[in-house]
Amino acid sequence: MEKKILEIKNLTKTYGELTALNSFSLSLEKGEILGLLGPNGAGKTTMISILSGIVKDFSGTVTFKNENLFSNRELKNYMGIVPQDMAFYEDLNAMENLMFWGGLYNLPNSTLKKRAAQLLELVELGTRAKEPIKNFSGGMKRRLNIAIGLIHNPELLLLDEPTVGIDVQAKVNILDIIKNVGEQGTAVIFTTHQLAEVEQICSRIVIMDKGTLLAQGTMDELIRIVGGKEMVDVEGEFSANHFSEIIKNQNHQGIEILSVSDNLANLAFDNTDLIPSMMEQLFKNQIVVSDLKIKSPNLEAVFLKLTGRSLRD
Amino acid sequence: MRKIWHIGITDLKLIVKDKMFFFWSLLFPMIFIYIFGSLFTAGRTDTKSALMVLNKDKGQWGAYLIEKIDAPGIELKKVDAIPKDYIRFVIIPENFSQNIEAFKSQSITLMQKSDSNLKAGRMAETKIMQSIIKLITEMIIKGEKDIKTFFDKKPEFRSMVEIKTRFPDKTITKIPSGFDHTIPGILVQFIMIMVLVSGGIIVMEDRKRGILSRVLFSSASYLELLGGKFFGRLLMGLLQSLILIIVGMIMFHLNLGNFLYSFLNILIFSACMACLSIFIGSVLNSEEVIVGVAILTGNIFAALGGSWWPMEVVPDTFKIVGMISPSYWAMKTFHQVIFFKEGFSEILINFVVLSVFFLVFMFLAVRYFKIRD
Repeated sequence: MEKKILEIKNLTKTYGELTALNSFSLSLEKGEILGLLGPNGAGKTTMISILSGIVKDFSGTVTFKNENLFSNRELKNYMGIVPQDMAFYEDLNAMENLMFWGGLYNLPNSTLKKRAAQLLELVELGTRAKEPIKNFSGGMKRRLNIAIGLIHNPELLLLDEPTVGIDVQAKVNILDIIKNVGEQGTAVIFTTHQLAEVEQICSRIVIMDKGTLLAQGTMDELIRIVGGKEMVDVEGEFSANHFSEIIKNQNHQGIEILSVSDNLANLAFDNTDLIPSMMEQLFKNQIVVSDLKIKSPNLEAVFLKLTGRSLRD
Repeated sequence: MRKIWHIGITDLKLIVKDKMFFFWSLLFPMIFIYIFGSLFTAGRTDTKSALMVLNKDKGQWGAYLIEKIDAPGIELKKVDAIPKDYIRFVIIPENFSQNIEAFKSQSITLMQKSDSNLKAGRMAETKIMQSIIKLITEMIIKGEKDIKTFFDKKPEFRSMVEIKTRFPDKTITKIPSGFDHTIPGILVQFIMIMVLVSGGIIVMEDRKRGILSRVLFSSASYLELLGGKFFGRLLMGLLQSLILIIVGMIMFHLNLGNFLYSFLNILIFSACMACLSIFIGSVLNSEEVIVGVAILTGNIFAALGGSWWPMEVVPDTFKIVGMISPSYWAMKTFHQVIFFKEGFSEILINFVVLSVFFLVFMFLAVRYFKIRD
């Protein structure tokens, strides 16, 4: 049985001079949860918008269930989308919203009602089904947004930053829901710039920046990119240029500058034994270090290594 | 088609769920209907025709005339002098009997207060006319008691005098009340305001919230989405009409003339407004601006188009200016159907002009319909 459900090849989209997506290729299997990680402007939303048919005039191909996604409208019956916006009617209650969105997929009314009730339970809104959505918290609205994307039981679910603007507990709930959806066999593409979220639920991670795919793989595969190095963050009173100069002039073997800005430097060390000699050089050059953190290799380090900047930049 | 229905019905549901819906669609128009309806209905409510008679004649024919006028429905009161306070009175001149027997022309004066009840006035006028005809007939048969006996005895006269009565063309056979003008007028005004405000705001909010994009992500097509939005607004116009027509019929005995023609008129006008609301919801970006534009447009078109007062009473310049408003053509149709009982061939031109408005607004709606900002 064919496991591959989606294949994107050489997707390119430009807005005038700006290249939002640059020859982006990707494939996805059934039940896989793929985290699309990148900072704002990386091209994540552009890619979701192309897949959802909102953005046109691009080059490249998208094959879904072995067919060109854009040549057969019926394929949309097998895809669900959860946009970043709370795109539903606040004047209708949760059940009415699910009935409206489900009604667009030609589902029989009885099936739809049953499915809506199941989903409301899944997203823990079963007891609030008939309440006005205006009274819902941000987290509840996000959960309803996901339920709407799942109303027609899609084989592929696209989630565009589904945890934006909600508290920690609500995030945990939403990540559990996504994990649950993946476990039931639905392939999921999940965009975010939150490292912890992809670490927690994604079976595969794609790192992208400025419209380009930089790396992809499982968590372990990606961490291997930074090798067995230790990550060290240095905070203090220094300028980026001055700090870089000191490290380079001392010709420290085994210290790599991942990124440096005024008052903050991210370094990769082959061995933490090199830290005291680096500190000595900094003191000699009258640099005051206020904080120094040693971290295990993580996705942030991978991202820094690949892009030279932090996800939060 | 199912998706068009589904999208349209949901939009209608959104309107009806609004707590202010019944205020804007029923109570607020009712205030307009009451005010304008009362303005165009005679101030007095004398439904029985009060009629005072001053008979200056001393002969038999003046008294005979009064005897014939006095009938059920006429509240007749004989007076000896011209009254100071009256609703309507009639004066039979001196030597009336003597003069008509000599075949001299005679004038009978009927005076009515301008604010008297129109219907009661017509009844009195009709009764006076009937009495004059009876008097003339009586004079012709000269005491033969009834006209049949007269013709039996003098058959040569049968072919000489033939009396036929009929209503001239376009005679108003059922006297319309002020409400028969006001209710269609306010209906046209509120179809416009209701559809533009509610329909426009929903299109604008759907665009801003990403709902339109999300609908297109389903298997619904662009045409189904646009068709659904149009259908929802058409239903809003029809619902607004239904509410006012039912209330108008129950409370004010609204007379819509030929129901089919009136319904067609409402349907085409609502279709025009449905397209216009999609257009303004696509090009305007805030609720306040949409409400402002819709109310301003609705009220200006209502005034220009004859929703508040009959176009017959406005100067010619305003009649010409009014033609730029679809309300004018809808109101013209209502007037022709309700007041003059005109047929399809006479109102067809109004439907053609309204259809041109529809096509223009549809072009604007399709051209400017935006899925997202």
